[in-house]
Amino acid sequence: MPILVLGLSHHTAPVALRERFAFADARVPATLQALRQQGLAEEAVLLSTCNRVELYVVTNQEPPRAFAELQGFLQQCHDYHEPLREQLYGLSEPQSVEHLFKVACGLDSMVLGETEILGQLKKAYDLALQHRHTGGRLNRAFQRAFSVAKHVRTETKIQRGATSVAAVAVELAEKIFNSLSDRQVMVIGAGDTSEKAARALLSRGARSILVSNRSAARAEALAEELGGRAVRFEDWATEFRQTDIVISSTSAPHYILDRPKLTPLMEQRGNAPLLLIDIAVPRDIDPEVNYLANVFLYNVDDLQAIADNYLHQRREELARCEAIIRERARALLASRPPPTFGADSQPAFGHE
Amino acid sequence: MLLSDRQAFGIAVVLYALSAVYAILLLRRGFREDNWINYLLLLGASVFHTGAMLQRSLPLQRCPINNLYEAMLFIGWTIVTSYVLVGFWSKLRFLGAFASPLLLAIGVFALMPGLDQPYDKEPNFSGDWLSLHAALILLSYGAFGLSCVAAAMYLTQEHDLKFNKMRAVISLMPPIQRLELATGRLLLTGFLLLTAGLAIGVFTLKETHGVYLMRDLKIFWSGLVWVGCLGLLVSRWWFAQRGRRLAWGVVGMFGFVLLTFWGSNLLSGIHNPDLHPVPVAGRP
Repeated sequence: MPILVLGLSHHTAPVALRERFAFADARVPATLQALRQQGLAEEAVLLSTCNRVELYVVTNQEPPRAFAELQGFLQQCHDYHEPLREQLYGLSEPQSVEHLFKVACGLDSMVLGETEILGQLKKAYDLALQHRHTGGRLNRAFQRAFSVAKHVRTETKIQRGATSVAAVAVELAEKIFNSLSDRQVMVIGAGDTSEKAARALLSRGARSILVSNRSAARAEALAEELGGRAVRFEDWATEFRQTDIVISSTSAPHYILDRPKLTPLMEQRGNAPLLLIDIAVPRDIDPEVNYLANVFLYNVDDLQAIADNYLHQRREELARCEAIIRERARALLASRPPPTFGADSQPAFGHE
Repeated sequence: MLLSDRQAFGIAVVLYALSAVYAILLLRRGFREDNWINYLLLLGASVFHTGAMLQRSLPLQRCPINNLYEAMLFIGWTIVTSYVLVGFWSKLRFLGAFASPLLLAIGVFALMPGLDQPYDKEPNFSGDWLSLHAALILLSYGAFGLSCVAAAMYLTQEHDLKFNKMRAVISLMPPIQRLELATGRLLLTGFLLLTAGLAIGVFTLKETHGVYLMRDLKIFWSGLVWVGCLGLLVSRWWFAQRGRRLAWGVVGMFGFVLLTFWGSNLLSGIHNPDLHPVPVAGRP
């Protein structure tokens, strides 16, 4: 009996369709139970995240028939009657096992090499295991997938570096400051990216957050959310003395911080290092300030270029990771007898 | 002995040169890798360097610092030994990429002809206090050398953080604030050692020549280095002259020490009594 995969992901389906097919955690055990009771699978795991919904099954049916029945089951579960063609994919061995390994390693994720999916996959497997919907085949395949993910993480650079603007900001801060634990962060203009960057800095131990925004209500709301303090927009410069990291994202049409304004502020700060992250467009901070001693200025393009560079490095590692995955999948499949029926080794339909 | 001390030191200098060439490769790659090859090169060099030191010191039964060659040998040894110890920690192993060019410069300078003057009859620095004076001062130059290495790293990383942002992020260098801290602390260590060494020198001068101070180029030069070092420390703590300015100051000061140490020593009467006789207290 082969391992088959049927599902849809961010590669094939828009978010509207993905959210339509998503399963809440509470619903998963009953769904797996129904799947097995209807004789569609001997073993089953259901993975449902914001980027994918996938059924991993072991069945004694031939793949083309199994895929058709599993598709009908999924559509029935969500009361969806529109035709699905390119949006859904079905894979049989060995591609199904290779796909499972790729998902575990984050190679199939939206952000290449991300690690969150591994936790989600473990959770989906544990849920199925707890409710006794897995058996020898899926247990071995999933355990091997987790071990391959660990191997790929330690032996390749697929997970190296930050790939979001917020994470790059944290990396830069760690290259400047001895420790983030006693740093004060000031957010000027409460935008979404600046909030994410502030949260990322807080999660790495930043001491406190000040929020300054033209709308005092928005500043207070964000400050409360981040456990910080709101500062009147007119007064942000007075708080500069104690600030180490500034994240600016106002909608001001001109520079709110330039060299003549910053020079005396740096003297007040005893010329301690200052990290300025300008994610506003048009920019909030005059690029000239980067020429001041101990001032380090990064705009959104600088941060994005670093994130893109890391992604490029990850893509360069892709071939190595895929070679490891192919080898491990082959080893797993070679260690057990072939399927009892004439197994089709090609994908039954869909992409991949 | 298979090798003389100069041969052993020569091999160490060749290894420093290989390490310096490898350091250029590491710099181009942005210090992305754990450079254990460089560490092994410097570890091998330190073995030969220590062998050379031992061959000099065992017959004397004390630290060999009797002429300029030995002084350079000792300064280099303090730097490479510190690096070998610090390099046990893989995150700081890249320090070698900055230490090796400095060690190469010191080694080539030490091997220049004329520095290893014989001192069979009367060593340049004889007596316990004079040995301590010389040892403390040379240790202070070792600390200045390491401070200079940290400052060079600071300048490289600070430049990358401002203008070559990707290389700054992917490099394995520590944060610049920690590098600045290391530069300052090593500078302070060097200053304290230099102060202690000079103080012992002043009292020894009183014993041997009957005066605390005398008109001598080396004394003037040492005072200049001391004042320069104090100036850097004061400007850092009282006038907030930190970061790039401090780093350039340290590099400049150590460069001055390296370039003028030999000349000031050669022209000094009290450090070269054979060349420039100086009246000794109680003697005609």
